[in-house]
Amino acid sequence: MKKKMLALILSAAMAVSVLAGCGSGADTNTSSDASGTAAAEKENGDKKQETESASGKKDVVKALLPPVSATYQEKVMEYVDAFNAENPDIEIEVTTASWEDMTQKLDVQVNAGSPPDIAFVGSDGISKYLDLGMIIDLNDYLSDELSDFDDNVLNYFRNGDGTYGLPAYCEVQCIGGNKEKLEAAGIDWQNVQKNGWTYDEFREAIKKGVEADGGNTSCYGFVFACAGVTAKDYFSIFVKNADLPASFDKDLKYAYTSKNMLTFLEDLRALIDDGSMPKELSSVDAGKRWNMMLTGQTMITGKGLSSFERSAYNNNKLLEEGSADAVEGSVPVEYIVLPVPVFQGEQHALGAVDGYICLTGEKNPDPEHLKNVAKVAYFLASGDRAANTCQELYLSPVCESGREAYAKLDPIADKNQSNTACVELLTTQIAEARPDIPAELSAKAIKIEDEVIVPKFQGLLSGEVTPEEMYQAIVEAAHEAFGAEGCVAD
Amino acid sequence: MGLYRRYGTKDKYKEKARNTALALVLICLAVITLFPIYYMIISSFGAPTEAGGASYSLIPKSFSLDSYKFFFNYSKYSFRWILNSMLVAGIVTVCNVIFASLAGYAFAKLRFPGCQFFFFLLLVAMMIPYQVTQVPLYILVVNVLKLQDTYTALIAPTLVTCYNVFLAKQFFSSLPTSVIESAKIEGCSQPMTVWKIVMPLSKTVLAVMAITTFLGEWNTFFWPFLVCNSEKMQTIQVGLKNFSFANTTYFAPMMAGATISALPMFILFFSLQKYFLEGVTVGAVKG
Amino acid sequence: MNKTKKKRIKKEAVWAYVFILVPLCTFTVFTIYPVISSIITSFQDYKPLGSEWVGLANYVSTFKSSLFYKALKNTAVYTVITVPIAILMSFIISVMILPFRKGIQSFFKGAFYLPAIASGVALSFVWKWIYDPLPSGLLNSLARVFGFSNQNWLGSSKTAMASLIIMAVFAGLGQNIIIYIAALLGIDPTYYEAADIDGATFLQKVRYVVWPLVKPTTVFLAITSVINGFQSFQTAYLMTGGGPDNATTMAGLLIFNRAFKYFEYGEACAQALLLAVIIAIFAIFQFKVSANDVEY
Repeated sequence: MKKKMLALILSAAMAVSVLAGCGSGADTNTSSDASGTAAAEKENGDKKQETESASGKKDVVKALLPPVSATYQEKVMEYVDAFNAENPDIEIEVTTASWEDMTQKLDVQVNAGSPPDIAFVGSDGISKYLDLGMIIDLNDYLSDELSDFDDNVLNYFRNGDGTYGLPAYCEVQCIGGNKEKLEAAGIDWQNVQKNGWTYDEFREAIKKGVEADGGNTSCYGFVFACAGVTAKDYFSIFVKNADLPASFDKDLKYAYTSKNMLTFLEDLRALIDDGSMPKELSSVDAGKRWNMMLTGQTMITGKGLSSFERSAYNNNKLLEEGSADAVEGSVPVEYIVLPVPVFQGEQHALGAVDGYICLTGEKNPDPEHLKNVAKVAYFLASGDRAANTCQELYLSPVCESGREAYAKLDPIADKNQSNTACVELLTTQIAEARPDIPAELSAKAIKIEDEVIVPKFQGLLSGEVTPEEMYQAIVEAAHEAFGAEGCVAD
Repeated sequence: MGLYRRYGTKDKYKEKARNTALALVLICLAVITLFPIYYMIISSFGAPTEAGGASYSLIPKSFSLDSYKFFFNYSKYSFRWILNSMLVAGIVTVCNVIFASLAGYAFAKLRFPGCQFFFFLLLVAMMIPYQVTQVPLYILVVNVLKLQDTYTALIAPTLVTCYNVFLAKQFFSSLPTSVIESAKIEGCSQPMTVWKIVMPLSKTVLAVMAITTFLGEWNTFFWPFLVCNSEKMQTIQVGLKNFSFANTTYFAPMMAGATISALPMFILFFSLQKYFLEGVTVGAVKG
Repeated sequence: MNKTKKKRIKKEAVWAYVFILVPLCTFTVFTIYPVISSIITSFQDYKPLGSEWVGLANYVSTFKSSLFYKALKNTAVYTVITVPIAILMSFIISVMILPFRKGIQSFFKGAFYLPAIASGVALSFVWKWIYDPLPSGLLNSLARVFGFSNQNWLGSSKTAMASLIIMAVFAGLGQNIIIYIAALLGIDPTYYEAADIDGATFLQKVRYVVWPLVKPTTVFLAITSVINGFQSFQTAYLMTGGGPDNATTMAGLLIFNRAFKYFEYGEACAQALLLAVIIAIFAIFQFKVSANDVEY
C-alpha cells in the first residue's frame, strides 16, 4: 500500500516534470509572445498602413543586398532613409548579407516561390531566373531611366527583347603587376597598358620575372589564384583573348569546340612548364596569391581588379609607419593594371557586370507594385549611389547620372593615373554582351563549364590532364548537349 | 576506474610513467586540434585594417583591441542577438533533453506495436540530404505558417532532433534490462522508472546531449538567417556574419567576431563540464 | 497471470506512445512533410510558379549522368575511409583520457571538443594554410623535415581526397570523443572487477569488456557518421571545389548545384532520394552486422 502511494506520488512528480516540459513548451509560447509583440507591432504597423492607405498606401519593397563595396552596407541604409523620406508611398526594407549567404538565401527563396523584390546578382545569373519566369522585364516599367545607362553594359542584362536588370558597375577583371619588378625585368608597362601585348611577348616577359637560385624559386613571373572554383576565373578571363569572346559564335554555335581552344590550352600549360608559374598553381588561392604579390614572390598576379591598387597602397603605408599590422614579410608594391595578353584575334576584356534585378513570386503581380520596385531599383543603380560604389571599387560609373555625381566627389588621393586610363580603355573593350543567346542554350553552356571545363581545367593546371584530353572532353560534352551541328568545327 | 591497473604504493612510479606517456600523446594531438582556435584568437588582436592578403604568422605581432571595439560599436542590437541565441539554444536544449530521452527510452526498453516502424521512420528522416528538405521546410514555415521573424520559427524545427532520440535510444539500450524489470516488479510506473532508474544512470549522456545540442544550436547560421529578416530577431551568428564580415579582407575583425561568439561557449562548456562530472542529477540539467 | 502480463504490456504501449508523442509530432510536421514533398517533387519539373509532372524523367537523367556515378564513388570512398578511422581514433583517445583526474579529463575533453565551435571561416583558413602547396606551407615544411618532396596537397588528384579525409577525421573527433567518454563512464566497475579476477590483461579488458559494452554507442556513431559522410559537401566545396578533374566531387555538391545553381530542383530531389536509399542500405547493413552480438 505504501509502495503504491509512493508510486502515485512519484508518477505525479513525473507528470509535473512532464508538465514542466510542456512548460518549457509554454516557454516557447511566451517567447513567441515576445515575438508576438513584435508581430503585434508589425500588425499595428500594418494597421497604420491601412489607416494610411486611406490617404496613401505604403508599398513595401524588399531588397536583399550583398556588400557590394567596402562601406556599401552602411551607406545603403542612408540611401534608403533618404528614399523613404522622399517617397512617402514606398518603403524599402533592406536585408544585407555576405555574397555567399545572400546568394544561398536568394536561391532558397526563389525555389520556395517567395523571392525578395530586388536582389543584387551578376548579369550571368539572369538566364536561370528567366527560365523560372520570376524575373521582371524592366522595359515595361522604366523608359527614360534605361537610357541613363551605357548601352554596351546594359546589354549584359538583356535577353531577347527584355531588360532584366540595371547594372551597378562594370568591373574589368584582368591582371596586375609589381611596378618595380616589371621595370627590373625590362618590361615597358606603360606601352603594354596602352597597346596590350601578345601571348609570346607575355611569355617572354614572365620568364624574365622569375628569380631563382638553384632549384628554389623565390619569385615567379606570374601567379593566378586557381584553387577550387577560382580556376574558373583564370579560364574565363583569358579565354576572351583567344578569339573566343563568348561561348557561342554569332550563328549561335557553341564556340569552345574551335581549334583555338586547343592552342589556347596548350599555351596556358606552357607557362607552367616554362617555370614562370608555380607548378602547384592549381591550389594557390586568392589570399595566398595576394600575399605572394605583397611579399615579392611574384611579378604579375591575377585575377587583378582595379581596387587592388588601394590594398597595395594601404599596405605600403603601414610599412612606412613601421606598423606591425603590415602583411608579414611584405615589401612596398606599386600595383600596375595590365591587360590580358592576346592569344588570337582582338584584345577583349572580361567585364563583370553586376546589378539589381527585380523578381516576383506571383503569377499575376500587381503592376503598381512592380512600378515601385523598378523605381527603387533605378534609384539604387544610379546617381550618387552608383558614383560612391564605383569610386570605392576604383571604377568609373556606367550611367550618365552616376558620372555627374562622380565628378562632384572628392578625387581619390594618390591615384595612379595611368591605371585609371588603362581601366577606362579596357572597359571600352569588354566583350560584347550577347542578349541573342537564348536562356536555354546559355544554361547548357554554364553546365558544361561547371561540370566539364572547370574540373578538367583544374586537372590541366595540376598536370594530370593534357590539353588534348581536355579539348576532347569539351568536344564530347558539347556534341552531347548541342549536337555536332550545334558546335563550331574548324 | 577499473579499466586501468592500480599500482601499489611501491610501484607508484609505474603509474606515473604510464600516465605521463599517455598525457604526452594526448597533448600532441590537442596541440593540433587547438591550433585553429589559437590562430583565431591571436589574429583577432590585429588592427581592423584592410590588408587583402592573408597573413601567415604563428606569433602575434601587435596587440590591439580595436577590432573588438569595431565590433561592439556596430549595432544597437548586439546584446539582443546574444540574448536571442541564448533563449533559442536554451529552450531547444531543454526540450531535446526531455523529449529525446523519453522517446529514446520508449524505443530502447518498451514493447509497443509500430516500435520498429517509427524508429525506422526516424532514421530515414535523417538520411534525406537537407539541401532538398530545406525548400519545403521554408515554404511551410514562412509561406504557409507565416512564422517569419518569430522565435517559434527558430525553435520548432529542432524541438527534438532525430539525432538525439537515436543517441538516447542507443545509450538506454545498453542499460541492464534487469534493473528496469525489477523496478517494474516492485510496481514502479513507467514515468517513475524513467525518473528514478534510467535518468540517474545516464546523466553523462544527458549532459553530452545538452552540451552538443546547445552548441549546435548556438552555431546554427543558415536557418535563422533564412527565416529572420529583421535585425531585432537575428541570432548572434547571423548578426556576426551580417557585420560586413563578408568582406573577408577585414581579417582581424572577422576573427574578433568569431572569438566573441565562441567565448560564451568556452565558459559554458567548462562550467557545465565540472558540474556534470561531480555527479549532479539530471534535474539540474532541466533548470 | 497471462492476463495481467497482457495488461502490463498494453499499459507499456500506452506509455510508449505518450513518450514518443512530441518527437513524432515534430517529425511529422518538420521532417516527414518536407521529405514527402521532396518525393513528390522528384517526379516533377519543378517551377515555383507551377510544376509539371514528368514521371521518371528526373531519375532517368540521373542514371544517365556519368558524373553522378563518379560523385557517388567519391562519396563512398570518402565515407568508407573516414568513418572507421575517425571512430577508432576517437575510441582510443577516449580510453586514453580515462585514467586521469577529473580536472585533467575535462581539459582534454575541451581541447578535443571545443575546436568544433570555432568559426568555420577560421578553421578553413587554417586548413588552407596547412595544405599550402608552396614549400612555405605548414605541412610541406613538416614533410621536408622527414625528407618528403613538396606536395600539391589539394591540387593533385593523388592527394586531394586524402587531404579532405584527414580534415574530416579531425573535424569529427571532438563530438565522437565526448560521446564515447560518456559511454565509458557509464560502464559498471563490477565488470572490470570480474575481469580482474579472471586475470585479464588491459588489452583483453578493452577488447572483451569495454568494446562490447560501448557497442550501441559505436553503432550510433557509425550510422550518424555515415549519414554525415554521404551528405557532406561543405569541405570539398570550400577546399577544392570538387577538383581536380572531379576527383573530389561529392554527391552532396551535385545535389546542391542541381537545386540552387541550375534550379533543377526536381532532379535534385531525385538524386537526393537515391542517395538516401544508398545511405539506408549502408545503415541496414551496419545494423545487421552489429545485431549479431549486441544482445546480452
